[in-house]
Amino acid sequence: MTKKNKRNSIMGMAFFGPALVLLTLFLFIPMILTLIYRFTDYFALSPNTTHFVGFENFAKIFGDDLFVQSFLNTVKFVLIIVPVQCFGALGLALLINKITACKKYFKVAFFIPVVMSLAVVSTLWMQIYSPEGILNTILTNLGFDAQPFIHSADQALPSIAFMSAWQGMGYQMIIFLGGLQAINPALYEAAEMDHASAWKKFKDITLPELKPLCVFVFITVTIGAFRMIVQPMVMTGGGPSNSTYTIVYDIYETGTVNWEIGLSSAMAVVFVIFVIVLTMIQNVLTKDKEGKNENKK
Amino acid sequence: MKTRNKVLKIILVAAMILLSLFFLFPVVWMIANSFKPDAEITADMNSVQAFIPPVPSENFFDNYVSVLTNTNFLLYMGNTLLYAALLIVLGIIVNGLAGYALAKIKFPFSDKWLLIIMMLMIIPSETIITINYLFIAKMGLLNTIFGYILPMIVNPFNIFLFRQVFVSLPDDVYEAAQLDHCGPVKYFFTMVLPMSKTVVATVSVFTFLNVWNDYLWPSLVFTSSDLLTAQIGLNAITANENTTMGQTLAAITLVTIPVIIIYSLFSKQIVEGVVSTGSKEG
Repeated sequence: MTKKNKRNSIMGMAFFGPALVLLTLFLFIPMILTLIYRFTDYFALSPNTTHFVGFENFAKIFGDDLFVQSFLNTVKFVLIIVPVQCFGALGLALLINKITACKKYFKVAFFIPVVMSLAVVSTLWMQIYSPEGILNTILTNLGFDAQPFIHSADQALPSIAFMSAWQGMGYQMIIFLGGLQAINPALYEAAEMDHASAWKKFKDITLPELKPLCVFVFITVTIGAFRMIVQPMVMTGGGPSNSTYTIVYDIYETGTVNWEIGLSSAMAVVFVIFVIVLTMIQNVLTKDKEGKNENKK
Repeated sequence: MKTRNKVLKIILVAAMILLSLFFLFPVVWMIANSFKPDAEITADMNSVQAFIPPVPSENFFDNYVSVLTNTNFLLYMGNTLLYAALLIVLGIIVNGLAGYALAKIKFPFSDKWLLIIMMLMIIPSETIITINYLFIAKMGLLNTIFGYILPMIVNPFNIFLFRQVFVSLPDDVYEAAQLDHCGPVKYFFTMVLPMSKTVVATVSVFTFLNVWNDYLWPSLVFTSSDLLTAQIGLNAITANENTTMGQTLAAITLVTIPVIIIYSLFSKQIVEGVVSTGSKEG
């Protein structure tokens, strides 16, 4: 038996080994280094002059106008995209679930932007948002004023948020459709016997049954939105006047353009804590729901 | 009553078709205008013509031909295909073996590793990308295939996905295989992987989409060389002042064609993968 155990240990480590080596090199060590560097003024171009600076980096980043602005921009982006994308996805899923014909076509049509890359979508919408572009042409033909979109500090971030919601919506739509199909049809049949209205069925059956999925979608869209960087990188370079500069963009540029690894690490730690807190909130909310369901049964 | 319901249903479908066309207007516009010279794109802007491709003529594919012949775009697309193929094979081996170890083999701390892998799934890759970049630069691997691929092979999410599937494989097959003197490694490649075609396909498809659509990491590793991926090459092409709008649209249509093909071939695996992320957590 002990011989077998020993053989199992060796085999397990051999199977897990390649992944472990790569995880160590490219995840564990970078994470530990980030945790160390956040307390230093490590500057990649002169690594020998590195000092331990304690919490100075945190004071520095929260006193830095650009970081604060990028944080506020990201929050603003999240506040726009999360409702648009979540409600859009839920609405599409409900509509498609109702329909009996061409279901497959609709599933494909609304999912197409999801498989397109962020770089492609950003390049395409740069043309669409351009001053003489198709969107402004349609607007002026309908009698509206032409809009500057990504070329003005006021509209750039909402324009990017709208585009990103358009791109991502299909993904959550598929998740909601899966959830809708998993609802027990007997619940609706029972409601039909009671002559419940469509709204009442939606409010009393569909929504409560979808609630855990809604929490999941809400949090994953939020986390995804906080990670936004490629769209402004391709479309605006963070401008006009830093209005589309995001947290991750700041972490990235501070680290790989300005080489201030200490500062960049401090920002990354703040950001990761933020993401972990969001994930924990999600876990608590969905776990709670499961517990209640058990009690009902 | 029944006919009224039927009419309502037809109206709903018609409205949805209109909505889907409205939703897809950027994509329709992109494809239709990728076949036009710039003068025609501008001239058509004011009418429905903007969403209709031109009548095929001998100049129909001009934008595509000039993107494919005047730039390195074909090379960039080939590069990306190569990287995707390498990462699919290496990823299945490394993450699959690890997933199998976590699912079926008792080794020191095996249950703790599973917990750690699940926690790693939360960490956003953007936060460690700077350190990985420094590391790859220090090893002198910038502008090499190795430098690009090495950090991308291991993927906690895929390890977890493999583990979830392998856990439900029957144990008696393994015992029978052992009696036939089939070693564990041979057993993994000849029995485990073929028995789990669905998860292998799902991981492959998602790896392909990831590699094909990735932007941040390749833009750091590849600066100016023949190794660029399609997404980064695209940026170089559209940033060039001589590139016309029609050529830009042709280039982004070209980058999109492979993912649309993959999606139409594997939409079942993709939808299952997407739904499983929801049902697992929710």
